[in-house]
Amino acid sequence: MSDAVLPAAPSVAPPTSLARHWVAQVVLPVLFAAAVLGIWEALVRWYQVPEVILPAPSVIWRRILSAWPFLVQHSVPTAVEAALGFVIATVFGILLSVLLVYSRWAYAALYPNVVFFQLIPKIALAPLFIVWLGIGPSSRLAFSVFIAFFPVVIATLTGLNSTPPDMLRLCKALTARNWQVFLSVRFPYALPHIFSGLKIAVTFAIIGVIVGEFITAQAGLGYLVLFASSQAETPLILAAIAMLCVVGLVLYGIVAGAERIILKRYGH
Amino acid sequence: MISLRGVRKTYASPAGPVEAVAGVSFDIKEGEFVSILGPSGCGKSTLLMMLAGLEHASAGTIQVAGEALTGPRRDAGLVFQDATLLPWLSARDNVLFPIKMMRLERDKYVARAEELLRSVGLGDFMDKRPRELSGGMRQRVALCRSLIHEPSIMLMDEPFSALDAITRDEMALVLLDLWSRHRKTGVFITHSIREAVLLSDRVLVMTRRPAVVVADVTIPFARPRDESIQDSAEFNAIVARLRGMIEHSIKEAA
Repeated sequence: MSDAVLPAAPSVAPPTSLARHWVAQVVLPVLFAAAVLGIWEALVRWYQVPEVILPAPSVIWRRILSAWPFLVQHSVPTAVEAALGFVIATVFGILLSVLLVYSRWAYAALYPNVVFFQLIPKIALAPLFIVWLGIGPSSRLAFSVFIAFFPVVIATLTGLNSTPPDMLRLCKALTARNWQVFLSVRFPYALPHIFSGLKIAVTFAIIGVIVGEFITAQAGLGYLVLFASSQAETPLILAAIAMLCVVGLVLYGIVAGAERIILKRYGH
Repeated sequence: MISLRGVRKTYASPAGPVEAVAGVSFDIKEGEFVSILGPSGCGKSTLLMMLAGLEHASAGTIQVAGEALTGPRRDAGLVFQDATLLPWLSARDNVLFPIKMMRLERDKYVARAEELLRSVGLGDFMDKRPRELSGGMRQRVALCRSLIHEPSIMLMDEPFSALDAITRDEMALVLLDLWSRHRKTGVFITHSIREAVLLSDRVLVMTRRPAVVVADVTIPFARPRDESIQDSAEFNAIVARLRGMIEHSIKEAA
């Protein structure tokens, strides 16, 4: 038996490649961002751009520090509603995909409509959600779910259909039950696709909440952006947007972290 | 053990019905290893899927152990062209996969799974995942998986055709050894004439258009066999005869 085993990935990368990896993944992006901020700061100062048009990064930073409790207070509803919208969209999206995969009739009836809705510029429908559900958090949450739902459905459907046909034949030959095939084969096979969809969905969920906040809210970062713009408080607008980036990064990071853990177990 | 009478398979297509198998009749005795040899697209794989109960015959009858075949049978082990292992399971758990799907008690089969893996030279690789194994090793795991639930029939659909030539020769010997120990009724689909002669008790030659069996050749070599029979004049004469039959049938179909 002379088969050779494929070499396992080295547990510790050689110093040169580790250093190169660190430079490529961390140093270069940070240096680039720092350079952009530096140029921005210099140009704003040099041309004495009014703060209301474009404040320097140092001004935004000072505004973040001075308004910190206020920014945190407004970040909470945005983050909570986006997270909740994402979770509900994930659950509904996966359940609908399972229904579409296992019911030929449901697929025939629903899938063309799912694709049709996917094509609609969904942001244009936001005011309708306010009409239907009022100005409370429920309309923002529903709109967030509506926006985040589609990438989950499409990705899960693709994933559930990605099981090799021979594997499904084998399961059938072994007289496996549908639920066994789903839990032991199809769903694990779909996980990489599902996580791709979830990473898009989490950013869409935030967009949904922000759009909702633009229209109705009395709190949240979207509301803060709109409020600050009405006061021509550009540093506060940009401070709120910076907080929004942090909220987005944290939520995305949680999904990416979960993906890393789960695909370590179920990765291909 | 396995008996086919006038088996046909017709698929509907936009251009009208397509006949994948056009009336096939043969018998396979218990413990016999039969290869079905033929060019690509001659309906060999469709025939195997019908034997596995995964496709229904459009006409004719298939009987296994005296009973009409109406659907998948638990006493058949399947091996495909691709190993189709679950990427997230170890070699051992992949071998035990049929036990899980058939809702049998796993603990009773762990020792057998390990014994099977050892018998194909994978004793040191039981905890490895498929991506850590070579193509030949993955196919050995698939062979072990097909035997774990002690089936009486092994159905193999060109199991070595995705492998390189050297690994393929090696795998034929692994199968020869495995089969001599387990002695299941074997149906082996292949387009390799030498592989068919080396492994089989009988070789059935199938043609394209019409997709029927045109020859049933008995392979006279005694068992146990090893690779040395491939050097004999008799072996090469049978190979040449089978090649002639296939070439003739291809010319006739053209």
